[in-house]
Amino acid sequence: MRRPELLARLVLGLLVATAIAAPIWIRSRTALIHARMADSGGWSPDVLHAQVGQPLHLSLTSDDVMHGFAVGQMDMPSVDVEPGKVSDITLSFKRPGTYTFYCTRWCGINHWRMRGTIEVTGDEPTSDNVAAPLYVQLGLDIDAAHEAAVVPGRAPSAGGGAQLADSPALSAFLRPDFYRTHSPYETWQQLRSEPQLSQRGDQQLWDMVAFIWQSNTTPEAVTRGRQLFEQNCAACHGASGGGNGVFADQLASASAAGGVNMMVQRPANLADPRRMLGASPALLEGKILRGGMGTGMPSWGPIFNEAEIWKIISYLYTFQFKEFSQ
Amino acid sequence: MSRTEITANPLAKAALKSRAPQLIVAALLLAGYVFAIVAGWIGTPVGSSNFSIVFVWIAWWALLILVAVPLVGRGWCAVCPIPLPGEWLQRRALLAPPAEKPRSQAFRRLRWPNALRNIWLQSACFLLLALFSSVLLTTPLVTAMVLAGMLLAAMALGIAFERRAFCRYVCPVGGFIGLYAQAAPVELRIKDKRVCAACSDKPCYRGSQAGYGCPWDVFPGGLSRNTYCGLCMECIRTCPRDNIALNARPCGADLVQPSKRLDEAFKAFIMLGSAMIYAAVLLGPWGVLKNAAYRVGTAAWFIYAGAFLALTLLLLPGIFALCTLPARRGRSLRRSFAAFSSAIIPLGLAFWMAFSLSFVLTNATYIAASLSDPLGLGWNLFGTARLAWQPLLTSLVAPAQTVALVGGLLWAVSVARGIGARLSGSSLPVSAFCLAATLAMLWLLL
Amino acid sequence: MKLRSSLAGAVVVGLAALIVAFAPLPTNRGPQPAARTIRVEASQFSYSPSVFSVNQGDTVTIELVSQDVVHGLYVDGYGISTESDPGQSRTLTFVASRPGSFRIRCNVTCGAMHPFMIGRLNVGPDLTLLRSVGLAFLGLAGLAFFARPTPREAGPA
Repeated sequence: MRRPELLARLVLGLLVATAIAAPIWIRSRTALIHARMADSGGWSPDVLHAQVGQPLHLSLTSDDVMHGFAVGQMDMPSVDVEPGKVSDITLSFKRPGTYTFYCTRWCGINHWRMRGTIEVTGDEPTSDNVAAPLYVQLGLDIDAAHEAAVVPGRAPSAGGGAQLADSPALSAFLRPDFYRTHSPYETWQQLRSEPQLSQRGDQQLWDMVAFIWQSNTTPEAVTRGRQLFEQNCAACHGASGGGNGVFADQLASASAAGGVNMMVQRPANLADPRRMLGASPALLEGKILRGGMGTGMPSWGPIFNEAEIWKIISYLYTFQFKEFSQ
Repeated sequence: MSRTEITANPLAKAALKSRAPQLIVAALLLAGYVFAIVAGWIGTPVGSSNFSIVFVWIAWWALLILVAVPLVGRGWCAVCPIPLPGEWLQRRALLAPPAEKPRSQAFRRLRWPNALRNIWLQSACFLLLALFSSVLLTTPLVTAMVLAGMLLAAMALGIAFERRAFCRYVCPVGGFIGLYAQAAPVELRIKDKRVCAACSDKPCYRGSQAGYGCPWDVFPGGLSRNTYCGLCMECIRTCPRDNIALNARPCGADLVQPSKRLDEAFKAFIMLGSAMIYAAVLLGPWGVLKNAAYRVGTAAWFIYAGAFLALTLLLLPGIFALCTLPARRGRSLRRSFAAFSSAIIPLGLAFWMAFSLSFVLTNATYIAASLSDPLGLGWNLFGTARLAWQPLLTSLVAPAQTVALVGGLLWAVSVARGIGARLSGSSLPVSAFCLAATLAMLWLLL
Repeated sequence: MKLRSSLAGAVVVGLAALIVAFAPLPTNRGPQPAARTIRVEASQFSYSPSVFSVNQGDTVTIELVSQDVVHGLYVDGYGISTESDPGQSRTLTFVASRPGSFRIRCNVTCGAMHPFMIGRLNVGPDLTLLRSVGLAFLGLAGLAFFARPTPREAGPA
C-alpha cells in the first residue's frame, strides 16, 4: 500500500476513534444526578451517601423540565436544576442520619413525590430524641371531622379584636400552648362562656379570636408562611386556598383510575370557614406533617422544620381573618 | 446567458482536482457526524442542549438550506460523510485508485434494480422522516438512531451495489438537494460535445488510474441538469482531455427545460407541502397540531399523518394538475403536469428558506452554548455553556422572509410563463396557484 | 426572458416596492389605548388562549398561569419575558407601543416540544403582512407589464 494511503487511513482512523471514544470515556467518569419528572423516574440516583464533616459535592442536571434541589430541614437555599445544564452544589452535614432531598420547582402533578435520601454516617451522636408531634401528644384524630358548629357572619377582624384586647380575661388565651391546642371555634366557645365577656356580641368575640390568633404570630412569619404556601401548596390548594389549584381537577378525577390512586381526592378547601375555624394549629400541623395517607396530600415531615410549619399554619388562618398580617 | 468557467482559474482547478481539501473536510465532517451519534446516544436527552440536535437540525440545516443549496446546489454532497465508509470499503482505498488492482472478481456488485431507478424511494424516505419530524427534531436519541441508520445503510448499499446507490436512490436529503440544485448558479458540464463523442473509453464513467467512475451513476458527457450530479469531482480527475468544467451560471438555468419526470414533479410538491405543514405545526400557535404531530402512535397522529400525505401527494398536486389543464393543448395531463411543476422548484426552495430563517435565527444561540457543552455534562469549553436563549435578529426575520417568499413567487411565475410560452398555453392558473400558496405561507410565517 | 424597456420597468417597480414596503400608513385615530389584562394558561406545549389581540398603545398585563410544569412567556420583538411555576402565577406588564404581529414563545425548557411552544400577540393591524402581500401583488403586476416571456433557448451549450 502506498504511503499517502496508509497515512490517510491512520489519521482518519484516529479521528473517528477519538470522536467515539473521547465522549464515552469522559461521560463514564462524570457522576451526575439526573432529575426527571416523578412519572419518569424522579431522581436518579435517589440514595446518596455522605460522611459527617466531609463536603458532599453534587452535580445535578435535569433530563426534561425545570426542577430544583434542596435538602429538607437544612437551612440552605434551593438550587435550580435546569434541563440540559449542570448545577453544582456542596453540602456538609453536622449530624449523621437520613436526610431527605426534594424537588423545589413544580414539575407536574407528582412533583412532591420527587424525593430521595442522603444517608449520612459518622461518629457524632444523632440528634436527641425528638418529641412526638403535638397532635400525637394530644391524641388528636386528625382524620376525624372537625367542622365548626358556629361560624361568624363576616370575616373576623384582628384589628377589631385588638381594640378589646385590654380585657383581663384574655391573658389566659394569649399563651402559645393555648393557641396551638385549640381551634378558633373552641376558643370562641370558651370566650362565649366567660362571664366577663357575656355582654360582647358573637362577632366581637370572633374578632377577639382573630386577635388572639394574630398575637401568636408575626408579620414576618406570615410573609414567610405565604411564601412557603405559594411554593408548595398553591399548585393544588389554589393561590387563595380554595381547593382549586391548577392540579385540583386532575386530582379530583384521579380516583377513577383505581389502583394506587383509589383514595386520591380533590384538594381541601382551605378557605372554608367551617373547616378551618374548627381546626386547631395542632391538627393542621398533624395534617401537614403526616400527609393524607393516599389522598394525594404529601407528607411534609421530612421537608419542613417545625418553625416553618407553624408559619405556614399562621398564613392559613389569614384566609379566615382580616387585617391579620398588620 | 453567459457562463463563467470556474475551473479556468488554475488555483480553483487545482483545489478541486486535488483529493486533499475535499477529503480533509469530509473526514472532519465524518468525525463530527460520528460524534453527533455518540452525543445523541449518551448525552443529555434535552434536545436544545445536545450537540446532535443543535448541530444537525439548527447549524447544519441552516448552512444547507440557506447557503449550500441556493449557492452551490449539490455542494454538500461533495463533502457529505455518509457515503464515505461504504465507498472506502467499495474502493478499498481512501485516496486515488491503487496502482495494481488485485481485484478479486469473486464478489461482483449488484446493479441497482431498474424499477427503483427514480426518486420515488427517496421521496418515501423523506416522507417517513417528515411524519416523525417532531420527535426527530427534539429527541437526541432518535436523531442519533437516524444518523447511524443512514450511515449503516450507506455502508451496506456501498458493499452490495455499485457506486453511490444510497446517495442516488435512497438518501432523503439528496432527493431535495438534487431537485433544488436545478436552481443553483453553479453547474458541472462538459466543455465540448465533440471531444466526448471522439472519446472511446469514457473514463469519466468507467474510472481509470486517475480516479473512479462517476459514483453518481451519471454519464458526465450527457449532463444537462444538476439534479443527479453530486459535485464529487471524480470526472474532473479522470477526464484525460480536460473536457469537464465547473461553471458559474445564471440561477435556475436548468428550469428552462420543462421536466418530463413524474417522480421529480411529485417531489416538488412533497417539499412545498411539507414546508407549509412545518410552518403551521412548528411555528404556528395551534397546540392541537403540535400534540398530534408529536404523539406518534396515537389516533391524533394517524390523522395528522394522513392529512400530511393527502396534502403533499393528492391535494396540492391535484389542484396544480387542474391548473395546468388550460395549457394542455392536446398533450396528456401527465405531460403538462410534469412540465409546469418545474415552477414549483424555486417556490419550494423559497418556502424552505423562509421557514428555516425563522427556525434557525430563533434557536441559533443554542449553537454557542452547545459548542461549550455538547453532551450537557457541565463542560464549558468556550465559556458559552450558560448563554441564555435569545432569538437573534428578530427585526430582520420578517423582511428577509418577505424577500425570500416574494422573490420565490416571482421566480416561480417567470418559470411558469416561460413554460407556458413554450407549450403555447396559458400559465395564468399555475401562477394563481403559486400566488395562493405564497399568500398562505406569508400568513403562516409572518 | 426579454424585458421590454427593462430599465424603466425596473425603476418603476422598484420605487413602487419601496413605497409599499416603507411608506408610513396613516395611523387612523384608532381606539383609545386601554389597559388590558389577559390570563394565559400555559401547558405542555401551548398557550391558552394562544392568539390574542390588543390595540396599539394599550397597557397590556399578561397573567401567566402554568398548568403543569414551569413555563416562560417571551414576547418576540419586545424582548420581555416572565416565567411561572404551577401555583405561582406571574404577571408581565408592558405598553404595546410596537404594532405588528409577534410570536410569544416559552423561554423555560419545558419538555421535548419546548422550542415550538408558540402563541401570537397581535398589536393593531398586521401591517407587515399587509405590506408583504402588497409586494407580492406588485411584483406580479411588474412581471405582467414589463416582462414578456419568450420561449427560452433549449438547454445550455
